[in-house]
Amino acid sequence: MMKDFDFSRDKDLARDFILNFAEGNGEAKYMKILQDVANHKTKAIQIDLEDLLNYKDLDEEFLRRVTENTRRYIGIFAEAIDELMPEPTEAFPDDDHDILMTQRSEDRTENTDGSDPLQRMPPEIKRFYEVYIRASSTGRPFTIREVRASNIGQLVRISGIVTRCSDVKPLMQVAVYTCEECGFEIYQEVTARVFMPLFECPSSRCKTNKTKGNLILQLRASKFLKFQEAKIQELAEHVPKGHIPRTMTIHFRGELTRKVVPGDVAELSGIFLPISYAGFRAMRAGLVADTYLEAMSVSHFKKKYEEYELRGDEEEQIARLSEDGDIYNKLSQSLAPEIFGHEDIKKALLLLLVGAPHRNLKDGMKIRGDLHICLMGDPGVAKSQLLKHIINVAPRGVYTTGKGSSGVGLTAAVQKDPVTNEMVLEGGALVLADMGICAIDEFDKMDELDRTAIHEVMEQQTVSIAKAGITTSLNARTAVLAAANPAWGRYDLRRTPAENINLPPALLSRFDLLWLILDRADMDSDLELARHVVYVHRNKESPALGFTPLEPSVLRAYISTARKLSPYVPKELEEYIASAYSGIRQDEAKSNAPHSYTTVRTLLSILRISAALARLRFSDTIAQSDVDEALRLMQMSKFSLYSEDRQRSGLDAISDIYSILRDEAARSNKMDVSYAHALNWISRKGYSEAQLKECLEEYAALNVWQIHPNTFDIRFIDA
Amino acid sequence: MVGLPYDCLANPLGAVRLTFDKAVASSGSDPTTFNGRDWGATDIFRDFLFDNGGLSQVPILNATNLRWIQPNTLVRFRGMIQDMLGNEFYVGAYKDGATWRTNKFTDVSQFPMDSSADTRIWERRLLYCVPVPGQNSWTESSSEVVLNPYVNWISPTREKRQREDNASTDDVDDVDMQVSDHEIQDSPCTKKMREGGPVSLSSHLEESTTEGTCPSTSMVFDFDRNSFPCLVKVYDSLEADLKLNDVFEFVGVLTFDLEPSVDKADCDEFTSTLCEDELSHSPPSKVPRLHCLVHRKLAVHDFLSSSPIMEPKSNLVKEMRETLLGHLTAVLGNDGVAAHFMLLHLLSRVHARVDTLAVGKLSLNLTGFNKENVSIFGNRLNLAVKNLVPFTYFMPLTVDYLNTASLAPRKDYETSRLVSGVLQLAEGSHMMIDETHLQAGTLNSVGVENARLIKNLMELQKVEYDFKYYKMEMEADVQLLILSEGKSNILPADLVLPFRPLSVESCEIGDAEALKAWRWYLASLKSLPHSIEPDMQKVVEDDLVAARQADRSLGSQDFSRWLTMGRLMSVSFGETSLSLEHWQMVKELERLRRERLQLKIN
Repeated sequence: MMKDFDFSRDKDLARDFILNFAEGNGEAKYMKILQDVANHKTKAIQIDLEDLLNYKDLDEEFLRRVTENTRRYIGIFAEAIDELMPEPTEAFPDDDHDILMTQRSEDRTENTDGSDPLQRMPPEIKRFYEVYIRASSTGRPFTIREVRASNIGQLVRISGIVTRCSDVKPLMQVAVYTCEECGFEIYQEVTARVFMPLFECPSSRCKTNKTKGNLILQLRASKFLKFQEAKIQELAEHVPKGHIPRTMTIHFRGELTRKVVPGDVAELSGIFLPISYAGFRAMRAGLVADTYLEAMSVSHFKKKYEEYELRGDEEEQIARLSEDGDIYNKLSQSLAPEIFGHEDIKKALLLLLVGAPHRNLKDGMKIRGDLHICLMGDPGVAKSQLLKHIINVAPRGVYTTGKGSSGVGLTAAVQKDPVTNEMVLEGGALVLADMGICAIDEFDKMDELDRTAIHEVMEQQTVSIAKAGITTSLNARTAVLAAANPAWGRYDLRRTPAENINLPPALLSRFDLLWLILDRADMDSDLELARHVVYVHRNKESPALGFTPLEPSVLRAYISTARKLSPYVPKELEEYIASAYSGIRQDEAKSNAPHSYTTVRTLLSILRISAALARLRFSDTIAQSDVDEALRLMQMSKFSLYSEDRQRSGLDAISDIYSILRDEAARSNKMDVSYAHALNWISRKGYSEAQLKECLEEYAALNVWQIHPNTFDIRFIDA
Repeated sequence: MVGLPYDCLANPLGAVRLTFDKAVASSGSDPTTFNGRDWGATDIFRDFLFDNGGLSQVPILNATNLRWIQPNTLVRFRGMIQDMLGNEFYVGAYKDGATWRTNKFTDVSQFPMDSSADTRIWERRLLYCVPVPGQNSWTESSSEVVLNPYVNWISPTREKRQREDNASTDDVDDVDMQVSDHEIQDSPCTKKMREGGPVSLSSHLEESTTEGTCPSTSMVFDFDRNSFPCLVKVYDSLEADLKLNDVFEFVGVLTFDLEPSVDKADCDEFTSTLCEDELSHSPPSKVPRLHCLVHRKLAVHDFLSSSPIMEPKSNLVKEMRETLLGHLTAVLGNDGVAAHFMLLHLLSRVHARVDTLAVGKLSLNLTGFNKENVSIFGNRLNLAVKNLVPFTYFMPLTVDYLNTASLAPRKDYETSRLVSGVLQLAEGSHMMIDETHLQAGTLNSVGVENARLIKNLMELQKVEYDFKYYKMEMEADVQLLILSEGKSNILPADLVLPFRPLSVESCEIGDAEALKAWRWYLASLKSLPHSIEPDMQKVVEDDLVAARQADRSLGSQDFSRWLTMGRLMSVSFGETSLSLEHWQMVKELERLRRERLQLKIN
């Protein structure tokens, strides 16, 4: 009987814990819940293992016993709670159960026959609450595969996707009989799914009288629990290569029923138990035990950035990364590391993932914060791979093609439910990607209908529907990442860019950045390609990248942290942005064949990209460097389209840089231009630092300017 | 180990128990430590099977001999892992009075078990295995049933029938199979089998009765040659060892429970609201159980009747190459170029995966077929491939087929089973797709999905398995050969070659000895290692760059294909590193191919 002693001591421990455990604010957490239970406000009492862990008089052995023999300890906690249950402080209408209970307790006092154990009311029937012990939520949950035989009886936490759910059915917990002869209530506790009903009255009175009283099952007096069975399956990412996902049976009882539906990705904690068989099956199945998880808590996975919870060491890792000055490059390189080159495009895609904050103006106007990017290019330049990779990194992303085969398409559709004949609204890819990213491949081959709808999505970020008597508008706050092929399949250099891009200007202007990826003929890239292919065939792996890319999970964590900020434009920068904008407008006015449609949208794009850059730096304010980088990216995106023009215009890079610097100096009426400033200006126009240096040397030789030997600052020589 | 006290073959469980008792005695009578590891039982069997040549004495389980073999004896099963049913928890050890007993490698305990006894729960993995899809009949001749000395009873009629079967299959089957493959949609039975496996057993039952082949015994083991599943219970193995679609040989204890599945209804009503008890759908009376003691992965070699051990570099290999090439040329109506490509194609396999790229695959698209000559050359080619490669599958591609076939395996949550699809193939299978019967028509959503699946298999060598809530990509290694009129755009192959037969004369199949040699040739050379020496690498790189400078349309795919061809070319000569000569041959072949393509356009 040593064991019993242990349990009674543990009951005292449990009692002590419930009575005294206080949260940070000093409030007795569990006593408060108990009061709510007494007032019939809630039914579930959830005991957090974490609280046990934090409890001041923590006994590690006790904690171990609770996790390893959870089912027993639920009973112990329930007993402790029985003792502690306070009187109700609020009036509530009596229900059947209460009336029954009062009646019973009156009965009891009348004909006390306490000696008979079967007549003693089991504590279960008096309880109008349910006790759950919830596993601590720190650390990684088990995958279903990792739950082994040694976990039987223990509290485990698993994650998976719900594949099947049964109906919620009543499950008998205490069967109550009345005896025809003696009139006593007989109780039978049911612990398994199947039970053998009693037929003969076991009360001492019937026994001594040898009357064999007939027992009648009282359904109204018996206690039932809601019961639901479900199947949970391993998530695809947890399944080792070449294996089939495992499944596990879950039993939900009481308040935990109806918490999940098939398709939910959930995290569960529960007790891993063998199924106790009864009767014939028990004999046959004697050797083999089926198992299930008795659910103790359910939580759904959140997939939005805003709700992303950092795990364990991620916070620290992010802090370390943000200290690193080169985070912008590092993150962008880690996007699709296996795709060679395309640095600027990857930077743009990184900014798309980060996005800018949404702005709600006072007059109800909304300004979107999501960046839209369109990648255009020859077939086979890894556009689709880039798209898919981005979707992988994004916590919520939908990949679709413009030709999407489903009737719902990209936006939304009204459909008739085949069973109920009701009209139901079904969201398409864009609606599903709300608060995330929607990657649309084959953008140019999109349905005409979808194309009209996408105008609305991209600026207003809603999808409006007026069909079959339903008028509504659904949120579609997504960043659109589109990939399109040029009009004739391949980019035709003999034609103008506008002819090659097979999209209407109204749609194009909605993209913040538009990149053209061309497959150009040059010896170096060919050799690079040949080397790569040969390397892959020789060594059966990709050539080393020269850096270690960050894990997608780290990227995700960093981006979600960055997205929490909403940077603003400081006053002193307003002028700078305005002048930059007007500069672009003037440039456009000067050229006789404007390629771009610089509108207020462009200005908003600059602000958005700058804000995203500031977010990446974890800064609350946008800096000038952000704006410069934004302008540079926009310029680069334009050059990817019109670089041929630049060559045709006859100005070589060096003289172009010279004229930029000269104009700039003339505008500010100064003779000095600092090197950093010059670099800013020329990179904004899409030139590299090497080209700037070359220009500086060349023109210094012509005595146009003097270069400071150390700082490389420029001083124009007055002619 | 001399003079084993137990006969491993007839009483394997006795041997298991013996070692268990020994181990318990030496470990201080606590079997807890045996959980998840072996106590020396499999060592005895390994000794017996491999060191003492016992393996050949172990009968290979098949539909016919299952009736004769006694339960609880040692058997072999060769098959592909089609589904994994998860782990099963069982009472591994229990105390019978004062002594520990074990239930490992068995379904029922040998000694009565007290319910209150001290027990240890262990786990084992359940694998659902089927014969390798598309396995050709010649592979079985090698694994010809060794007459089992522990035969229970032999029904003379049975045996006779079996002989007839064997006799007929050798000659007729190849032709037969082809026809039946064509008719697959029309025959509901075969289709159902393909889809449902054991689930549709009831319908089989009816059919077999009407056919009059039903055995006189009450116990009906009603298996088709192509659907003879076996539930293998694996102990203590590393999870990574056994993968889906792997072909394995399992040696273990055969058990089957003759008790009819009475408690189906019982289980429905009481124990489970979601009745999907895996085992109730494949009761032991229908699916034999094998408690695996030793398992080994099978290679193509294991399916060859007698493997002549030869040095791959010897002249013999070159000779074989010549004769095989001659054979293929004859099959292809004296089209030598096509025969060369065919040879490379048959030697290809995925030997590495880099990012999304499957390195080493070489799918071939022979164009220029029409309805007339496909019936000649298509059949001839199919027959030739069947005779050379152990696992083959023929797919007649029509709009109707695409719209109705279930190509991808799919998880059925009602039964909790993975329902196999056509594309669930073992590593190294050959698949021939006949596109010539494809007419213009509309694809429904199934058809679109199916077309995408085949395309994915072709480009990435991956098949998406449908788990309803998500899809999982499984890696595959299938050689794909497409016959079409024009270049197949639905199924973009690595190589497109217009087919130019010069004659339609019939050709010989090749005598048995030659076939054996060729099978050995393909199986052995396929797995040869390959390297590119630095000086050769330079040559290759320069050639690639020059080619791309001359023709901008060449991309990394073309380069990759050339290198694969280079590899296969040198491998076909039994060489392990690329030589200039072979590289030149590849370039020449490629030139000839382009020439044909050019001609086609003009």
